[in-house]
Amino acid sequence: MASISLKYKSKSGNLTAPGDVDPGAMIPLATTTLSTATATITFSSIPQNYEHLQVRGILNNSATDAALMTFNGDTGSNYSRHRLTGNGSGAGAASGVNNTSIAINGLTGFQSTTSVYGPVILDILDYVNTSKYKTIRSLSGTENNTSGGIEFNSGLWMSTNAITSITFSTVSGTWAQYSTLALYGIKRAGA
Amino acid sequence: MAYTYSKIATYTVGSGGIANVSFLNIPQTYTDLIVKASIRTVATPAQIYADTTFIINGDTGSNYSLKFLRGSGSGTGSQSTTNGTAGYLTQLTGNGATANTFGNLEMYFYNYTSGNYKSFSADGVGENNGTTAYAEITGEVWQRTDPITSFSFNATGVFAQYSTFHLYGIKAEV
Repeated sequence: MASISLKYKSKSGNLTAPGDVDPGAMIPLATTTLSTATATITFSSIPQNYEHLQVRGILNNSATDAALMTFNGDTGSNYSRHRLTGNGSGAGAASGVNNTSIAINGLTGFQSTTSVYGPVILDILDYVNTSKYKTIRSLSGTENNTSGGIEFNSGLWMSTNAITSITFSTVSGTWAQYSTLALYGIKRAGA
Repeated sequence: MAYTYSKIATYTVGSGGIANVSFLNIPQTYTDLIVKASIRTVATPAQIYADTTFIINGDTGSNYSLKFLRGSGSGTGSQSTTNGTAGYLTQLTGNGATANTFGNLEMYFYNYTSGNYKSFSADGVGENNGTTAYAEITGEVWQRTDPITSFSFNATGVFAQYSTFHLYGIKAEV
């Protein structure tokens, strides 16, 4: 299906005119920017009418810890994860099976250094498909001019339930003020 | 910007599986293309992970080269291929892996209608509730100047039922 560019879609020639904007296939659903340090960030009541989800954010953790992701409040041993890492001097890989969460940026954690926020982009495909366990893929990293690292992660939630909520907690410490996570829905291609 | 991300086509594998999935007559009106795919393959004997390959415009000549960085769950590696006859899409989840588990893949094609060779990346993970599962970041080039009008995914064995392939277009400007 061909896209219609804004300059042709607009009825009035004003690109900000209500009703004139083609929102495309990637729709912002929710954004959380912390006003105070917080232990967990949760997206709940996630709409079920998209094909995929993407989370984008920047995180600073007071204890330089990983983000621990769970779905639908499930803290059972229903998760596995694998990661490919680099810390500036070497590459590594690790895995975890029958875990109680999916660890993101687990090698170095997200930095606690003031004003240093590590980015993360995370994709969840077919999140409402009840014939599949849910597999995530993420790229994240941190850098504070002396230490840091980059991680390419996968994670598995061994449940066929549709994802209705996502929680990012941490091993210890809290997510610092101004840490931000944004949730996007990606429409089904061709729908 | 969100409004530059446009849906083009989706294919969902039905009962019994299928060996090849193709997108044909790709619109030439975008700047870049993205493929998001949730893939499991079925082969005999069963494998935890399996290659998926990729052909552009039906070209099976020696026109593909690539380099990838890989993690296996316990080790790392990097390899390259020159003058290959197909692109490569990560060791994704096979039918020897945990049941109901599918790999997660994103491909990005840059300037797919340009008159230059076509560069693309493939970031894929093949999950499994066990030590071994691959995560790979791949950079590739198709050494042809033709615009990309079609591509085909080829399984080791067949793509399992419920595997999905989604094609999106990205516009650089409005």
